[in-house]
Amino acid sequence: MPHSIRKSRSAVALTAVLAGAVLLAGCTGGGNAIDTSGDQLLTIPREDMGTFSRNFNPFTPNAAPMTQQAIYESMFVYNPADGGTTPWLATDWVASDDGLELTFTMRDGVLWSDGEPMLAGDVAYTFMLQKELLGGFDYLDSVEADGDQTVRFVLNRPYSPALYEIGQQIIVPQHIWEEIDDPAKDTNGTPVGTGPYTEVTSFQSQSFDLGKNPNYWQPDKQKIAGIRMLAFAGNDGANLAAVNGEVDWAYQFMPDIEKSFVAKDPEHRQFWFPSTGSMINWQLNTTKAPFDDVNVRKALSMAVDREQVTDIAMNGYTAPADCTGLSGAYTTWTDADTAASCDWTKHDVDAANALFDTAGYPLGADGTRTLPDGSPFTLDISVGSASSDWLSAATIISQNLAEVGITATVDSPDWPTVVASYEDGSFDTGIVWSNNAPTPYQFFRGVMSSETVKPVGEKTFENYHRFASPEADALLATFAASSDEAAQTEAVNGLQAEFDAEAPVIPLFAGPEWGMFTDTRFTGWPTASDPYATLSTKSPTTVLVLTSLEPVTK
Amino acid sequence: MRFIVRRLAFYLLAFWVSITLNFLLPRFMPGDPVTRMFAQAANKMQPHQIEQLRQLFGLDERPIWQQYLSYVQNIFTGQMGVSISRFPTPVSEVIGSQIGWTLLLGGTALVIAVVIGNLLGILAAWRRGGVLDSVFPPILVFVGSFPYFWLAMAALYLFGVVLGWFPIRHAFDAGMTPELSWTFLSSIATHLFLPALTIVLVSIGGWMLGMRNTMIATTAEDYILMAEAKGLTNNRIMFRYAARNAMLPSVTAFGMSFGFIVGGALLTEVVFAYPGVGYQLLAAVQGLDYPLMQGIFLTITAAVLVANFLVDIVYVRLDPRVRVS
Repeated sequence: MPHSIRKSRSAVALTAVLAGAVLLAGCTGGGNAIDTSGDQLLTIPREDMGTFSRNFNPFTPNAAPMTQQAIYESMFVYNPADGGTTPWLATDWVASDDGLELTFTMRDGVLWSDGEPMLAGDVAYTFMLQKELLGGFDYLDSVEADGDQTVRFVLNRPYSPALYEIGQQIIVPQHIWEEIDDPAKDTNGTPVGTGPYTEVTSFQSQSFDLGKNPNYWQPDKQKIAGIRMLAFAGNDGANLAAVNGEVDWAYQFMPDIEKSFVAKDPEHRQFWFPSTGSMINWQLNTTKAPFDDVNVRKALSMAVDREQVTDIAMNGYTAPADCTGLSGAYTTWTDADTAASCDWTKHDVDAANALFDTAGYPLGADGTRTLPDGSPFTLDISVGSASSDWLSAATIISQNLAEVGITATVDSPDWPTVVASYEDGSFDTGIVWSNNAPTPYQFFRGVMSSETVKPVGEKTFENYHRFASPEADALLATFAASSDEAAQTEAVNGLQAEFDAEAPVIPLFAGPEWGMFTDTRFTGWPTASDPYATLSTKSPTTVLVLTSLEPVTK
Repeated sequence: MRFIVRRLAFYLLAFWVSITLNFLLPRFMPGDPVTRMFAQAANKMQPHQIEQLRQLFGLDERPIWQQYLSYVQNIFTGQMGVSISRFPTPVSEVIGSQIGWTLLLGGTALVIAVVIGNLLGILAAWRRGGVLDSVFPPILVFVGSFPYFWLAMAALYLFGVVLGWFPIRHAFDAGMTPELSWTFLSSIATHLFLPALTIVLVSIGGWMLGMRNTMIATTAEDYILMAEAKGLTNNRIMFRYAARNAMLPSVTAFGMSFGFIVGGALLTEVVFAYPGVGYQLLAAVQGLDYPLMQGIFLTITAAVLVANFLVDIVYVRLDPRVRVS
């Protein structure tokens, strides 16, 4: 076809011209001067969303970033880094003596971003809507606004963890949401909230800007001009932006961060990975022999070199766990006596061998251990292939176990397959997260309570290893029923002792909470020496950082 | 005409088979969307939220044949439902907001690779053993055999990070609003350059070699000798006699590739943080987002079939032999 040839010739010419223009534009379009005008936007990457959808509905799981952090606020903010609680939309709260009633006093003079006052009725409405859309809060009998400033929560049973669940629920305006026909499916494109940065000033599929709430209740804390979120389809792109100094604050895993990030500008760049994430455990399916034997669980635990696991698999970003099972989020709850007496969470090959021998799992002449019935002692360790850090942890464990004569095979299909085997109880052993909430109640409930145990074959979403302890049940009930701090401490001490005695799971390390920043454009970041929040950009404490940062001006 | 009707019937059958596969395959994967979301969030979600999300999404629990019937019905009424991984954004909106970028990137890269690759192939075959013929094929095959991920990273690092000639992410600068202005269009062009360049680099070798080989076979034909004997100009013989006949396989390949563009370029999107359907599809598969997966598969299926149909029709024009048989 002569036509097509002529066309392609001109196409070549056009391409060349275009390429030239592009090169020119590329040369002039560069420039990386640091903006310190005072109006610079706090730039944050989001590593797990290739593009954003304009969805600021706080009840949906994949709402645009910052919906729950900068737009909507809760009654108080709990900070796992220092265990402190900051009153936020509420100024005060009390529990009745029988633990059946919680009363919150709302802050006076808080306005929604559209100028309407935020009242107790909004709180009651939010809980009604939350229950209608998502269920949950089954311990709540009723939520009533008593006047404009007081909200009363009536519980149908004493349940002390309720305080944190209620206090951290984000509050939405009744006058907006009652007008929406189908709140579950509304994308809430122009949100109205009480947070510091509520105004969507620009929204593109890969970046959006939030500007100041004109009616914020703490105007003196709105020192930054706004927030800019950038979308990335993976850690690599987000890390590159951080290394290049194009973002101020990032919250994603970065390998060898000291060298790749901090060393580029050690004066201004820092990272802080507090171990306040959930405890990462090696769980053994206790419905299967020999994992139903506490001596086996403890001997296996002693064979694991946790230092090696944290140093190599976790890049040294966290510390080995101890026999209380509690992560760095619960330092105020940790029982010093139990922690001091830990033996089965320390790496000790000789003790592990001795314990296996006495428990009836002898070492054969060929150097491999056998079960009491004479068959070889082997096990599978399941872990999702996407988690490269946990995968190397499993590999290290399997090497450690070879030293005590046990053959462990690492089995790493994709996470959904692994989790499916956890849920129905068909797995052997596996690396797993655990519940993480303001109090240790949910953690211990998830690893030891008989309420959470389901028979093999029936799906469960916690206590995959299916371990129940009647002692733990009693202690958990005591904790839930009591709002007295001394009684709660005693119950948690008891739970730690029970965890130490039974080893329901083998704790490995506490998951680190990522976080890095550069203070070339903004100052006032939380650090290990000033832990007023974590460096997470996705948790309730994020608003504390947003209201503390100040722009650098020159 | 009968030819077209026959082809149409075939395409309808192919369409039915593929939409049925689109429906069945995702449902063979273990788990359901909510437990997958839970598994991916790992420690960020509490167990009681699982029930909450089930309630929120209103997952389809009907028998599978009923789901299939309403699925087929929805396809023909154009209702693709609400995405689960992007709840509550409708599937059509999720795809619609990304497909433009995917077409821009894939289309630009494909057209450039096809045009340049074919021209190089024609010239290489025409001057067999010349510089072009002995230097380019090995180099292009060498470049093309690099893992794409590595090549893209290297280009990003060299031209984006070290030299700073090109932006290292996104389709245009953050804070810009799409408009018909020189600044915006040039921002799009600079952002498009590296992603498109890397795709062209890895794919151009195949086009060149394919064209070169068919061209060599064609130049041995008698009618080329005849044309030369008639004293026609070299260019005329090369393009109108040899290239026109050698181009047929390239046209088929072009049609196929064009259909597959809408599937997105996953690796490019990940490395250059370029918007597009590819990452959306990955997220949908990982999250068992049936509606979004079905929507994207349907778009791909439709695009491939339409592109093939168009190629079939173009073929009738290009190659008279098809009409006769």
